[in-house]
Amino acid sequence: MVKYIFKRICYLLPVLAVVAIVDFVIIHLTPGDPAAVMLGSDATDADLAKLREQLGLNLPIYVQFGRWLWGVLHGNLGWSIFMDMPVSTAIWQHLGPTVSLTILAEVIAIAVAIPLGVAAAANRGTWLDQLFMTLALLGISIPSFWIGLNFILLFAVKLGWFPAAGYQPLSSGLVNHLKYLIMPAVSLGIMQGALIARMTRSSLLEVLNENYIRTAEAKGLKYWVIIFKHALRNAFIPILTVIGLTFAVLIGGAVVTETVFNIPGIGKLVVTAVLRRDYAVIQGAILMTATAYVLINLVIDLLYALIDPRVRLSK
Amino acid sequence: MDIAANAILKKKTNFLESIRRNIVVRRFMSNRLAVTGCALLTIIFLMAIFAPLLATQPPLEMKVTDRLKAPSAAYWFGTDEFGRDVYSRVVHGSRISISVGLSVVVISSVLGLVLGLYSAYYRHLDNLIMRVVDGLMAFPAVLLAIAIMAALGPKVENVIISISVVYIPTVARTVRSAALVVREQTYIEAIQALGGKPWRIIWRHIAPNCMSPLIVQATFIFAYAVIIEASLSFLGAGTPPPQPSWGNILSDGRTLIRQAWWIMVFPGIAIVMTVLGLNLIGDGLRDLLDPHTNKAKS
Amino acid sequence: MKKQPLLEVRDLKTRFSTETGLVTAVDGVCFQIYSGETVGLVGESGCGKSVTSLSILRLFGKHSGTRLEGKILFEERDLLTVPLDEIQTIRGNKISMIFQDPMTSLNPVYTVGDQIAESIVLHQKLDRKQALAKAVTMLELVGIPSPESRIHDYPHQLSGGMRQRVMIAMGLACQPKLLIADEPTTALDVTIQAQILELMQKLQCELNMGIILITHDLGVVAEVCDRVLVMYLGQIVEECPVEVLFDNPLHPYTCGLIRSIPSMATNRREELHVIAGMVPSLYHVPAGCHFAPRCPYADAQCGNPPELVTIDAEHKVRCWHPGARASGERRLA
Repeated sequence: MVKYIFKRICYLLPVLAVVAIVDFVIIHLTPGDPAAVMLGSDATDADLAKLREQLGLNLPIYVQFGRWLWGVLHGNLGWSIFMDMPVSTAIWQHLGPTVSLTILAEVIAIAVAIPLGVAAAANRGTWLDQLFMTLALLGISIPSFWIGLNFILLFAVKLGWFPAAGYQPLSSGLVNHLKYLIMPAVSLGIMQGALIARMTRSSLLEVLNENYIRTAEAKGLKYWVIIFKHALRNAFIPILTVIGLTFAVLIGGAVVTETVFNIPGIGKLVVTAVLRRDYAVIQGAILMTATAYVLINLVIDLLYALIDPRVRLSK
Repeated sequence: MDIAANAILKKKTNFLESIRRNIVVRRFMSNRLAVTGCALLTIIFLMAIFAPLLATQPPLEMKVTDRLKAPSAAYWFGTDEFGRDVYSRVVHGSRISISVGLSVVVISSVLGLVLGLYSAYYRHLDNLIMRVVDGLMAFPAVLLAIAIMAALGPKVENVIISISVVYIPTVARTVRSAALVVREQTYIEAIQALGGKPWRIIWRHIAPNCMSPLIVQATFIFAYAVIIEASLSFLGAGTPPPQPSWGNILSDGRTLIRQAWWIMVFPGIAIVMTVLGLNLIGDGLRDLLDPHTNKAKS
Repeated sequence: MKKQPLLEVRDLKTRFSTETGLVTAVDGVCFQIYSGETVGLVGESGCGKSVTSLSILRLFGKHSGTRLEGKILFEERDLLTVPLDEIQTIRGNKISMIFQDPMTSLNPVYTVGDQIAESIVLHQKLDRKQALAKAVTMLELVGIPSPESRIHDYPHQLSGGMRQRVMIAMGLACQPKLLIADEPTTALDVTIQAQILELMQKLQCELNMGIILITHDLGVVAEVCDRVLVMYLGQIVEECPVEVLFDNPLHPYTCGLIRSIPSMATNRREELHVIAGMVPSLYHVPAGCHFAPRCPYADAQCGNPPELVTIDAEHKVRCWHPGARASGERRLA
């Protein structure tokens, strides 16, 4: 078990190294002089020279990378010229809404998708299965931001049940927090949930064909005991995998959803930074989300061990 | 020896291929959902090809007197704040979505195929390529695309480049796992023993066996590319206005959602039709060609 | 043996609806099993022997589209018509099954103790602790060393032979009246195979169970069975006591099977007997005698379906020309 955890963590290091390199390289793809792009056409030569100096653009590229990586490893993600603050501070200020939004969306998605997926698999081929799977197919076909726009149109503009946009932190009270967050979270969670429901169904169907399910049936167990006790636990590994993998879809969707609902999260930070060409912020925020994704998948790898003794007890 | 063995193998695969294709086509056509998907996609493709004929107005033409008109006989989908016809803009927007989607599919499939095949064949390359692939896949697709767009600047060509970069690793990984299975098979070993050249083994023997999963994957990538293009344009980091794309029409619609719902509703329906069509086809193809693929990978 | 049969199967028909149409996997099978006897069900793969056994407990997935006809009488009830929850009280309790592949027939995520205890808790209404104690006894019974610690093992920690013993322990946990063993030793080494068979026989004496042993291995049949049912393409073609099967087989198919067993006595240079042709697919079952296309003695009469006729009290055969080999070249007559 310890060895398994150790191996998983070791496996992360090259991935994180690639993440850092890619993150650095992307920003340096910019054609021409980044300083000129950032300051616009009415910048003076002196301003440009100063900014280049500040960003270290005059140094060789590998020195720039070394300095940047050294900073990153010490928690220094750079300086946002437009916000006039360290990038890490900017990210920290925008982190709360994104974390709330993604967690709520993921929880809604899992809570709805797994029961639906199980029900569909348990009633394979019936109208129930077809209904749920049609819904799931629609779910993966509708972009979350368009669902969000429709929610605003229906529930905010026409019905007035929820505020059309904005965000209130948890400190303003849970009800208030949720009132602002529920529409974005549902619209974001739908695609996620649809992916999980499809995986739950197909994974469960595969497990239901296994010989040990027939053994359980031959013992005289009830169908639902077989589904929930014998099948679901075995089906869970692919379900967990898809939850981990689609976490990237969730974060990506969050960027757009935050713009739709005007939520001051990381996504909004990145989009604003893109429009203002605030490269340090883009670089920092993307590095952070990729790292978060890698760590979440590490947690999922560790959960495998909880579910499956073959992982837990392997040498 | 090599030639003779190849000839026999080839003849055998061609013969089996032709039988399989027939059955495949027939079974695909008997799948109602997949046929619906084809129909949806055909509509969108026809729309893209014949956009100038189908549009009732030039998509960029502004009529100041007809601003924010609701859908009517004259303006089927209404007009936007500049008095542009939303219907004509949606019709023309299909050209962006389809051309971006197709280009992404071609670029990411070709490059991903090469990387996946060589990674599966040459073990020392494998470690390197797969670590880079893992690293790239750690970035959420939309964010990675946004970052590349930020660096390259908002142009349709750059949208294609950025989304392709996002999906090359996905294809590479799928192709690699299919190729590894084939590579382990005895007949590949036999051909190697007979002195077959690596490039020939890779392209003549391994590559054809990776096509099924690749085709399924490509269909889903097309769907995702359409969504990501729309997302980027919606955020202002994709297709630059005034050129109509479903994403940037939606962006106009967002700010006017209280006054003019139609600006935001119709391009969304177009996106859903396209993506739904592609997903239906992808599901149908997967059931047909690749029943054991892990559904998570799409 | 004029007592009441433990299980009586009457005219069982099992059909599957598949993409290409309805397939009859079991076609009018009749037999009886008595307490304390072991009946072998033999035939090539695909002859319907496994399907017959699964039909007894109706072990087909909820949505498999299987159709069952006929009667399966057990304790004065027809298992084919009792409601599902009633059959669930019989499964694993009065009738239990052992499956052929011990490597995949145990659930990988639960300990073997849990899996044995499960049916004890279910059918004997014991609590978990008592059930686990009983599981230890069962493991001891099937000859697993240090059973107290083994019950905490997961299936992947055990060898194939051990897993099959666990399967047997699981099957016997509730002292069933009938045990259906579907190729219980096929996946095992020959030495372990012998041990397992011996174990089953020993337990049978203690519990006075009826056993249906499904196998394609006539060696195993010779060793443990009292009576034999030979199946071909969904039908029973011959039924007789085990000694008669080897001494006086009447159906050409049975004769072929017996002649294809390699034995020490056979001259090594002599080629093994092979039954001509291939088992037809269930989609193309021959109209008359199913075996006719592969039968060296087939004639025009064999175009009509033969009945299962009684030769003597314990010997039945489905053939127009029973014992054709014994009586020489009947075809020429």
